[in-house]
Amino acid sequence: MPIENPLPSLVEWFFGPPWYAGAGFVFLGVVVALAVIALLGGCLVAALRYGPAAAVKITGKVLAEAVPDLVRMSPRRVWALTWLAVKESIRRRVVVVFAVFVVLLLFASWFLDPTSTDPARLYLSFVLTATSYLVLLLVLFLSAFSLPADIRSRTLHTIVTKPVRASEIVLARILGFTLVGTALLGFMCAVSYVFVVRGLDHTHDVIADNLQPVAASPAGKAAGAARTGYTEPARGHRHRLTVDADGNARVEAERGHWHEVRTTSSGGAPAYALEGPEGMLLARVPVYGKLRFRDASGTDTERGINVGDEWMYRSFIQGNSEAATIWTFQNVTEDRFRDGLPIEMSIEVFRTYKGDIERGVLGSLAVRNPRTGLIVETEIFESKDFTITKALVPRVIPKAKVSRARVIARKIQVPGGGVEYDPPRESLNPSLADKREFDLFEDLVAGGEVEVWLQCLEPSQYFGASQPDLYLRAADASFGLNFVKGYLGIWLQMVLVIGFGVMFSTFLSGPVAMLATSGALVGGFFSEFMAKLARREVIGGGPFEALIRLVNQDNLMIELEPGLQSQVAQLADRVAEAGLFVTASILPPFGDFSYANWVAYGFDILWNPYIAVPTLRTLAFMIPVFVAGYFFLKTREVAR
Amino acid sequence: MNWQRARKIAYMVAIVLLLLLLVVLGQPATNPIGDHPGSSGGWLAQLRTKEGFSESQLGEIDPAGETIKLATLGLRGVAANILWDKANTYKMKKDWTNLSATLQQIAKIEPHFIKVWRFQGWNLSYNVSAEFDDYRERYRWVIKGIDYLNEGIRYNRNEPMLVWDVGWFISQKIGRADESKQFRRLFKDDDEFFRRYNDPRPKEDRDNWLVGLDWYAQAESMVDRGADLKKTTPVIFYSNRPMCRMNYAEALEGDGVFAERAQFAWRRAGEDWLLFGERQIPTWEPGVRIRLNDKERLLEEAAKCVAELDKLDPGLRERIRQERLAKLTPAEKKAYEMPAEERRTEELHTLATKAANQLNVTYEQVARRVSGKNFEKALELARKSADFERQAQKINTDRVLVNFEYWRLKARVEQHPDTIQAREALYGADQAFTAGTDLVRAKQRYEKGYELWRKVLDNKQWPQLKEDDKLGEELAKSVRRYRRVLERRDEPFPKDFVLQDIVTLYGKRAEN
Repeated sequence: MPIENPLPSLVEWFFGPPWYAGAGFVFLGVVVALAVIALLGGCLVAALRYGPAAAVKITGKVLAEAVPDLVRMSPRRVWALTWLAVKESIRRRVVVVFAVFVVLLLFASWFLDPTSTDPARLYLSFVLTATSYLVLLLVLFLSAFSLPADIRSRTLHTIVTKPVRASEIVLARILGFTLVGTALLGFMCAVSYVFVVRGLDHTHDVIADNLQPVAASPAGKAAGAARTGYTEPARGHRHRLTVDADGNARVEAERGHWHEVRTTSSGGAPAYALEGPEGMLLARVPVYGKLRFRDASGTDTERGINVGDEWMYRSFIQGNSEAATIWTFQNVTEDRFRDGLPIEMSIEVFRTYKGDIERGVLGSLAVRNPRTGLIVETEIFESKDFTITKALVPRVIPKAKVSRARVIARKIQVPGGGVEYDPPRESLNPSLADKREFDLFEDLVAGGEVEVWLQCLEPSQYFGASQPDLYLRAADASFGLNFVKGYLGIWLQMVLVIGFGVMFSTFLSGPVAMLATSGALVGGFFSEFMAKLARREVIGGGPFEALIRLVNQDNLMIELEPGLQSQVAQLADRVAEAGLFVTASILPPFGDFSYANWVAYGFDILWNPYIAVPTLRTLAFMIPVFVAGYFFLKTREVAR
Repeated sequence: MNWQRARKIAYMVAIVLLLLLLVVLGQPATNPIGDHPGSSGGWLAQLRTKEGFSESQLGEIDPAGETIKLATLGLRGVAANILWDKANTYKMKKDWTNLSATLQQIAKIEPHFIKVWRFQGWNLSYNVSAEFDDYRERYRWVIKGIDYLNEGIRYNRNEPMLVWDVGWFISQKIGRADESKQFRRLFKDDDEFFRRYNDPRPKEDRDNWLVGLDWYAQAESMVDRGADLKKTTPVIFYSNRPMCRMNYAEALEGDGVFAERAQFAWRRAGEDWLLFGERQIPTWEPGVRIRLNDKERLLEEAAKCVAELDKLDPGLRERIRQERLAKLTPAEKKAYEMPAEERRTEELHTLATKAANQLNVTYEQVARRVSGKNFEKALELARKSADFERQAQKINTDRVLVNFEYWRLKARVEQHPDTIQAREALYGADQAFTAGTDLVRAKQRYEKGYELWRKVLDNKQWPQLKEDDKLGEELAKSVRRYRRVLERRDEPFPKDFVLQDIVTLYGKRAEN
């Protein structure tokens, strides 16, 4: 599964290093800066309206009121107002969205192709995407129109005449809509789960007469009464079924799943019945390592070779050379990997010549001790791209099963042109490779750290990989729980939309608040693109240059014609870049909160960092949004 | 009546009028149900029916597609663009499952946009399939592209180019890819494909060229029934079906099948090629059709007319020529009579060309000099002969496009028993050479093969065969393998080698 923006661990993300790049510090810095800007801005406005002396007084007063308003909120009052928001939402028939969702699922089978190469991925992507669109749309309307409607209908007046703080009104709205959205999401999650499981459920008929006897092996070993053949097709595929001499039947995996076979007897002849699909709905728990490359001369590099792919996600290594793709895993302990290291990988193959196409390109997997430099090649395999290849590095590796064992040091280029070796070459002990058998944890793991090396063995052929392409499959988590985690991502997006919606609705009219929230939502989904535009990483220039190209129908790759028009456009782009940078930084990157790929590709969404970090980020956005909402509401006459 | 009320009434009247107009224009057609006769609908519905644009006339109606179209609220163009962009991103990121799903969605939104089906079908079969390392996966994606096109046919049953594309993919993509050997094998064993396409042919006939041929035939019959070929060159369109027979015969021999079966295949290929030559093929000129086989007949007719013309005033043409020759300036005459390779300056070339143009006596010019009662007849003969030659030239242009004469000769040569035996011998020799276990056998077979090829090349029926570059290079390449066999056996290359003329002519080219 591609992870284009891998996250560091929660601690590393929050505290750095370096400390000043840690999210905690950045958050504090931004909050302080925003507070100072807001304070100065407010003071300036007050000074322009009432004069400098009054401005200081007013600012002081607002601050003095704000502190108790924000700190001394009453949970009882907040709950009462929350419940009011819930009741209001129900009155506004939010249940209609649920009905739309159910109708959507009823007709979904028209659009979903169960014969696709990976139907599970298709079904899961569909339910998660459909849910997120519907829920986000619903809360967008709910949150943006609620307060303005109350103000217009003067319902709010009855509330503000009670001893209620403005902060409580804002918080209660956010909580109320979140509660409604959460309940709705819960229902949708349950219905979607049933839809996916039932939609993917299938079996195949087996006509026992179609099974043919297995031919004797070339070695002359008779296959006995073994028979083989194909099941009947269902959902655009069928499985090869083999019955061994003892009558045990099994099917081969196809389209990412297999079936258990029940053998019964019908009129004296054996009959075979297949159970439901297995291995389709998974939640593999991956342990990811840190990736580095080694070039053909054996020197460490950050990236491998680019073989001309437009998408530079994967880097390639040259075959039959010292080049390798190396993953370093931490916390590899006996407790976690009692039976050895279960490796799973999905690599890409690039051939520069046709070679023998009847088989894959040969590659090897090796395990290296980063402290002693001992490297043991445990697996020679034939490549198969775009599928998951499994390998197990056993606890004890007999020398007979090792294709190569040696001791090598890392060769690292140091600034200034020199080369360093780790461990130093003089400390290497080549006799370590002479053992009769290697113990994974004694010989190859050092302090919980181990390296896995992937190499291509054929000259002029290449293997490509990125960091998440090889991982240790620590265990399998519950798919159901992972499915719920997938919905957690939608929940986080929903909370953010509610926050922005309520905040905008405190000072804008309903339709304008909705537009502003939609803008934040759409902008958030494209924040990564905006950031790239600001960093000048997008081909074709900034918005103004792009406009000229659009009108002139110019190719993206050619330079703009020199002249005043181009200069002005490029100058305007420099200004726009600053605006884009700020906008991209303050909008929540909604796309990062989507876990659809994790669930669809069958990977457990890791609490640390992939749930913890987005949750903290949501919180980090919600605090200033809530505070801003409070201050904006305070500016309204109705709330004073 | 106050102004406001009048305005409201005016609005109401305008609304009613517009609604009436809408009914007249847009009322949908209905089918007869029971005693109810049904209606032909409004003006637009009638126009759609007349032009064959109504959904049910274009192809199957897909409820899913119609629902999506409605759900986009008239923004299906925008939706298709967004999906197209997404498909490009998925392709770039190698997310094949989502790419496939997105292409289905685009097709559902724009089911009658033929270019979408053709472009994306090609994308799947040619571009996506090439991304996989395993040829089995490649084959699966080639078939996916074919299935995609076939779905397009369901929605657009009057589009011959989609059917033609299926024929092209099955024949050319499977039969000409780098991994054609493996693809052809997988295709033969692909029970699922033949089941899906309700094709009950026996396994031995499951050759991609023969299956492709049937699709081409289907596309041809659609065009014959009046479907539009759009921008496709007709002669190329019609050549693909008979070419499949040629390719099939070649593929059979490539698979090591010779004797009667290969001979029969080549005979059928020759017959089909001649039938192709008999077909009336449209040209770019509206209403004008040609037959490729007519070239020789037309040239004969032209020659007859010219002979008759010459008979009316014998020697007239030469006399005119001599008159013109006499009128040439000395410089023009000198340049004209000079051998072409000696004309070293631009001026000499210009003078020679000018002189040649002046000396070219057209039939009309001859006819106009015929005097007396034969004048009218001469003019008629001149017009006829020029017309015949022009038609032959037109046919020749189309012949060149499909290499008509080459394939006609090839089919004749290849079905000859000597050729089949020669190919069989060289095939056996190559097998023995590749295995490397029986060099004596390889040598004997090469030598037998070359002897037979000599006979074929010297056959008086086709003197032009020696000028066939492709065959020459093929034989020269084979001789290189023969040389390697001799080298391994430490034997010299024979001095009086039976195909020495071919080696001399094509040996260098075969090395490249």
